[in-house]
Amino acid sequence: MAALTPYTYIRCPCSDVSAPGRPLDGSSPMAAAADDNGAGDDDDRTFDPRAPRSNYSLYPLEYLLYCEDCHQIRCPRCVAEEIVSYYCPNCLFEVPSSNLKSEGNRCTRSCFQCPVCLGPLAVTSLETKPDPSLLAAPDNAAAPHAGPYALTCSYCHWTSAEVGIQFEKPNGIHAQLAKLRNGGATRLTAKERKERRKDPAYRTQAAAAPAPATAGGEEGGPSSSAEVLDLETQFANLKAFYQGQLADPNSADSGLAALSDLGFSSPTSLSRIMSIYTGGGWQDKKAKSRVGAMREALEPDEGLQPARLDESAAIDRLRSEGHGATASAAQLRDQPPNLGEAHLHGRARFASELRPIPYLLRTKRSKRCPVCRHIISKPEAKVQTTRFRIRLVAGSYIPSIAVRPLPLSSSSSSGSGGSASGPAVVPGALLEPLRPAHYLLTFKNPIFEPVRVTLGAPARTPGRFASKVTVLCPEFEIDANTDVWDEALKESGERDRDKDRRRRRGEEGGGQSSSNNPHHSQLEVGKIWERGRNWVSIVVEVVPASLRLAPGDPPLREDEDVLEIPMFVRVEWEGEAGGDDVGAAAGRDAAKEAREKRELAYWCVLGLGRIKQT
Amino acid sequence: MSAPAGSAPLPHRSVANIRSPPGAGHHPSGPSTPLRPIPSNFGSPSSLRADEEIIIVEFGTRKLQVGFSGDPAPRGCVWFGPDQQRRVGDFREWQTDYRYDWRRAARHGDSWGRDHELWQYDVRGVDLGLVGDKIERALSEAFTKYLLIDSRPRRMVWVLPSSLPIPLLSAALDSVFSRFQPPTVSLLSSPIALAVGAGVRSALVVDLGWSETIVTSVYEYREVAAKRSIRGGRMLVEQTHKLLAKHLPEDQGGSESKQEYVLSFEECSDITTRMVWCRPRQHSDDDQPASGSLPTVQEHDDAEQPGDSPTPGRTSTVTIPLKSWLSPTSLELPFNALSEPCEDAFFDSHYSHTSFDDHELPLPLLVYRSLLQLPVDVRALCMSRIIFTGGCSNVLGLRGRIFDEVSELVRERGWDPVQGKGVEQLRANPKLKRRGVRQTGESPMGVSSPPGDGEEQDGVWHDAANTAPEADPIEEQLQRGMDRRPRVQGELRAIESLGAWSGASLVTHLKAPAVAAIDREVWLQHGAAGAVRASDVDYKAQRQSLGAGGLMRGSAAGSAWTLGVWGAV
Repeated sequence: MAALTPYTYIRCPCSDVSAPGRPLDGSSPMAAAADDNGAGDDDDRTFDPRAPRSNYSLYPLEYLLYCEDCHQIRCPRCVAEEIVSYYCPNCLFEVPSSNLKSEGNRCTRSCFQCPVCLGPLAVTSLETKPDPSLLAAPDNAAAPHAGPYALTCSYCHWTSAEVGIQFEKPNGIHAQLAKLRNGGATRLTAKERKERRKDPAYRTQAAAAPAPATAGGEEGGPSSSAEVLDLETQFANLKAFYQGQLADPNSADSGLAALSDLGFSSPTSLSRIMSIYTGGGWQDKKAKSRVGAMREALEPDEGLQPARLDESAAIDRLRSEGHGATASAAQLRDQPPNLGEAHLHGRARFASELRPIPYLLRTKRSKRCPVCRHIISKPEAKVQTTRFRIRLVAGSYIPSIAVRPLPLSSSSSSGSGGSASGPAVVPGALLEPLRPAHYLLTFKNPIFEPVRVTLGAPARTPGRFASKVTVLCPEFEIDANTDVWDEALKESGERDRDKDRRRRRGEEGGGQSSSNNPHHSQLEVGKIWERGRNWVSIVVEVVPASLRLAPGDPPLREDEDVLEIPMFVRVEWEGEAGGDDVGAAAGRDAAKEAREKRELAYWCVLGLGRIKQT
Repeated sequence: MSAPAGSAPLPHRSVANIRSPPGAGHHPSGPSTPLRPIPSNFGSPSSLRADEEIIIVEFGTRKLQVGFSGDPAPRGCVWFGPDQQRRVGDFREWQTDYRYDWRRAARHGDSWGRDHELWQYDVRGVDLGLVGDKIERALSEAFTKYLLIDSRPRRMVWVLPSSLPIPLLSAALDSVFSRFQPPTVSLLSSPIALAVGAGVRSALVVDLGWSETIVTSVYEYREVAAKRSIRGGRMLVEQTHKLLAKHLPEDQGGSESKQEYVLSFEECSDITTRMVWCRPRQHSDDDQPASGSLPTVQEHDDAEQPGDSPTPGRTSTVTIPLKSWLSPTSLELPFNALSEPCEDAFFDSHYSHTSFDDHELPLPLLVYRSLLQLPVDVRALCMSRIIFTGGCSNVLGLRGRIFDEVSELVRERGWDPVQGKGVEQLRANPKLKRRGVRQTGESPMGVSSPPGDGEEQDGVWHDAANTAPEADPIEEQLQRGMDRRPRVQGELRAIESLGAWSGASLVTHLKAPAVAAIDREVWLQHGAAGAVRASDVDYKAQRQSLGAGGLMRGSAAGSAWTLGVWGAV
């Protein structure tokens, strides 16, 4: 079992809102009762981190944003997004949004992913390929001007030449690829096909042309008696057909249509207005024309495509080529929808039918608070920069919680700072069941006011294995995150002293009372363990449950042996009077009260460690 | 929403193409300014709403397809799986030493593969909130990754199986309305969308889906009947697992012998899609009417059937690498064995037809029966418009096999709903037959009119042949609107559909209003309880109140709205 570093997840309060069910959800309590996880927590609404739903509402602190005006955490689920720019993640080329509509959501330059392994493909000349032993730099340089090109994966050495795709030019691969079928036969683009449809002379030719290509396995092409429409053509044919049907005189100018363009500059609405004044002609026409049903498509030209059910060619191919020649489900999933294919059933099956995958475009998004519409995150528009103009991360507003095991029993713990710990507590060590263990929670206050933290944790963790949890000091105050300059000026000495103090205390194991830290190493209920400039450590005592399963119980789920504590955190602080504060707090006090009390409450989940399985 | 250039646009509908009215004589074409589409809510800050991008979402049990209306194919497809159900920031699936412990998950009740499903139709134990969460996450992934759209509210059209239970639909709507805030969601049933995508008005949609196979008869864009069988993709994958497990050496089982599954679902599913095929009908002599062939006699001696397939290498073996077994291995299988799962899952031809329950009919029988129960004219139309769809229709040869078996059944039995020994006897025994003929001969025309019901007494009734048929205005109108060209009917024929998603894309692009259109505010107020039955909705009134969008906005909360075929609470 992998070592587990303690972690903290925060549950965005937005998940609470939708939690109460709709009137229809009468069955959900029943469902919850049936779920053995949710047995005990129905009334007091303790958050159960093990419930399958909670996986959807928990976030690490780093994923959360914060709205300064609403004083609320905003998780990725509860922000409104706006797109700043579209770009290709491979060539980092920004794509205007108008292209997106016309050309789809993929990079239309020469950026492709390997259909086998998803690695990036590079355009290489095929000429240099035959003699790799004689690769010399001048040859390499000269070659690209010559021969055909192919896309090559440098990771798995897939090359598009394997599937018979070669290019004449090293650039504009996307456009070239659109015209090529696997196997090298040409494929018509949408525009060409449209022209071809009109031209009857082409049709006979077209019926013959796809045959060699489909023999590659799509449909096992015997000489096609009827024209096999590809997806796009069939769609276009159908669309034209339906539109023609709808536009038939008997259904034209239906009331719906007449109402549907109320654009005041449109001629139809002009005529409508005219007809209102001139009398009921419009009405009559409409009433008359409501009649009529569309007929159905009858020919391939109208989009009707008789199915070809004979797939024996493909079966034979499967038989002869075996498992290795087929494409895996994952590979097929990554394939973009290929509109040039015969139809949905002819979807690629063999590895030789895989096509290079043009990169999906990505977006840069700015995020707004859905309530107050303030921007809470805004990246730079330029694709190449990773900076943000505005980014209100929750980590700079709500206290962070660091968890580390507290070696109480051993007095010889030397390195207490950082994540390293004494010999008694190896990081990721398994917790002994039924033996109390202590964890130190360090709350660090990022804001410039002192905050008051109230913690609530159920005495027994929800779930099948109820561990006992005791938060020794559920209420405490954390001092403000004082000015950086203050810190710089006065800290260096004090910090060392602080560290000394801590270390000394760890070593001695005896009580060391100072004015700042009135506590002993002997745990005291209600006392904080340690306090710093803007942080406070408290101790949580857990008694891990035994993971012994009664016979007949279902076995442990994944991660069910991790001791997770749900903890309700309430943070209260008083906002400073308007705007005299520094830095990030400036915008917060739009309200003009001198001091405003604020609070923030949320559930969080502390993952402490794995319990040893006996 | 802009129609691609060249497709004959409707002058009055797709206002974007107003400059090229094709053959519109009735259109007062004068100098006109090109129009922008009008947002449907006048006067409100329409900038918050994306212009005319209608998002079409097709829900399946295992995947979700999204795209914009007007596109021929969906832009993205999201599969449900256990990896999707992790917490955000949990990257363990990328760790090299991590492997999803499917065994552990599988032993939790019934969940071999259940975590790859969005929902089960048995909603008794379902956490509806979880379904909503899954949908939300999948949709937001699809929107971010494939559609590249921001979170402005957009209208949505959902393509749903028409047998979807209301609780699931309600959970989905709840989740989507609260997170994505579409102003309306219109629901389309997938059989209808498929029919549209095939260009027909009537069809027999054979949906070889994941959890079950549904045969839906669509007549004039209406679902008139549906029959289901649990023989679906899930069963196929389970049969594949059984086959693989059978061929695996068993000795290592030792401690884990009680375990039901020895291979992971992912692997079995993968092998199913890659390798499983369906053998053709056995005595198919090039569709010649085989003389005395009974479908029930199909011998099930696998792998060695000599006349099975005309391939030379029929004893060829296939090597399948298995990773999720106790130790990675590769398995040698005869190629013909790989057709067994399909055989067992969909046909079970070594049992007699009478031994099946209604919920587990083999597919040919299912198709035949659903055709059989249709009225004659509907059947005539439907049988020549069979549409195969669903994930399992990609199994090589399966469609052809079902089609052949059905035509064989039809050839053998005709459309006689009564069958069995008695009927055979009746047919065989000339004496019985004669009597039967006489009986039917006594009532020549009327099916329902009992003989001797006083036709002589009533002169008006009697002379039915001479009375002028009552003018049926609706029928007249239908006739007038109908194309005179003959429709293909009465013969078995399979046609290809673009798919439910593309059909919905067409429907939406043509601005046909959906029966079930749900307004966000109304839904948030009432939930599913506010829906009324489809017949109770006055479409005329609603249509009058339409805005620019073809998909209606149930404008006021007072107006009735419906969930259509999905019913009402």
